[in-house]
Amino acid sequence: MEAKYDFANKFGDQVLRCSECGFCQGFCPVFGAMLRPSYSARGKMLVLKEVMDGTIDLNNELIETLFQCTTCNSCLENCPAGVEVPEIIRQVRKDMVHAGSCHPAFEGMNEVLKEHTNIYAEEEPEDFERERNKKAEYVYFIGCVGSYREDEATMSTLELLDRLKLDYTLIDEVCCSGVLDDVGYQINEDLVRKNIDLILATGAKMVITGCPYCSRTFNNKPQYARLKDKGIKIIHITQFLNEFDFGVKTDKLVTFHDPCDLGRHCGIYEEPREIIRKIAPNFVELPHSRVDALCCGAGGGVRGAYPKNSLAMARRRLQEVEDVGADVVLTECNSCVHNLSNAKLRRQKFRIYNISQFINELMQEAE
Amino acid sequence: MEIRGYNMPEDLYYEQNHFWVRDEGDLLVMGMDDFAQQLAKEIVYVQLPDEGKALQAGKKFAKVESGKWLGKVFAPVDGELVAVNEELETNPGLINEDCYGKGWMYKIKPEDKGELNNLMRTYEELDKWLAEEIEKYVKE
Repeated sequence: MEAKYDFANKFGDQVLRCSECGFCQGFCPVFGAMLRPSYSARGKMLVLKEVMDGTIDLNNELIETLFQCTTCNSCLENCPAGVEVPEIIRQVRKDMVHAGSCHPAFEGMNEVLKEHTNIYAEEEPEDFERERNKKAEYVYFIGCVGSYREDEATMSTLELLDRLKLDYTLIDEVCCSGVLDDVGYQINEDLVRKNIDLILATGAKMVITGCPYCSRTFNNKPQYARLKDKGIKIIHITQFLNEFDFGVKTDKLVTFHDPCDLGRHCGIYEEPREIIRKIAPNFVELPHSRVDALCCGAGGGVRGAYPKNSLAMARRRLQEVEDVGADVVLTECNSCVHNLSNAKLRRQKFRIYNISQFINELMQEAE
Repeated sequence: MEIRGYNMPEDLYYEQNHFWVRDEGDLLVMGMDDFAQQLAKEIVYVQLPDEGKALQAGKKFAKVESGKWLGKVFAPVDGELVAVNEELETNPGLINEDCYGKGWMYKIKPEDKGELNNLMRTYEELDKWLAEEIEKYVKE
């Protein structure tokens, strides 16, 4: 007999496979910051077992539990039973939206992206003083956070690309809309079409993204398959910059924060480190790094829906930076830069940069 | 005083981006007005630049964020940033709770207090301005 909800039909066996061991609690950033059992993967699976039993329905009372997940994949990496919690949560959220229950922030985001080009409903993107939509070998795709929240970091990255004499163009990009798939909705086909058409019109054979979430969306979501069909390769900027020597170094103590979307989701751990080794001989790993990296708290829409909790997670990560005594923490994800920068306390004197931004500043200082 | 449903105290100057300024002798105190804090909803982040930062009238020197809104903070006068409300670092919601009191944001040492005359102050000025802002930003 078909279960009431799609998550139960598709993933019911996995939900039941959860042995409630609680290993996930040692890695879940939401649980780590808030210490509320229902926020961990274990807690979510317990709730879903009740839903499958018919004891409770998916309704508004479950929004806070089931929509509060950064989709960082830490639970998946550490579950002895192999429960694919992020996939289950993604489907549960779709079931909840179908049942009429959704966090207002995500409902709002879906509506915003029907009318606007970005998740912030901003009308005018930053100019970045560069021509858009011209013919070029590469397209540089910025992403919403880089365009509208971390414009200084983005400008610095673009300056670096100019120094490297890259033949690139910006485009009149619109939100990749991948986040909608994570928060209960569907990728926006109109936005997909706009992005693909703009990319193809440039004649570029490679798209470099500043945002690892965008590169995941372009590479993995079937809605963007037309790019690959046309022979377009999509890479993250760390995969591109890895090929270069920059001729600058810093003596500062530098550490690296692995973005979840780059590390756990895409398996890209070495490329950023290889770049950093070229410019920062004094490098120290954070206590939780690579596959064990602590999430900054911004992902899965949590920064928009639960900003206080999101910043609490970021502060937890920044405590590690303070503990290793780093002068600089590098990453390469504008969402991470944004959330970590917002969470940094005044007494914490380290600086937070994207790798590309930091290299550009070193090169500027060297002039 | 209340103007069109918004609390706009009489003893303050108002800058067109919805920041209020209080003259406290040698220093000016500034913060976000009631219209802005209601429109922004819950403030989650306030940028607190280092003391000593040079300010230029009309130029952005900080930013404020709510869930999905980013607001720029513009200096009302030329001067120097001499103090920030450090309570806002971990409790930015004070702006929503008490935007004219505990939610004050910055203290400025002005170069020329005469520049305050460029800001709005009278009931008539504020009423006309708020009518336009409500029309522009407040959805039914």
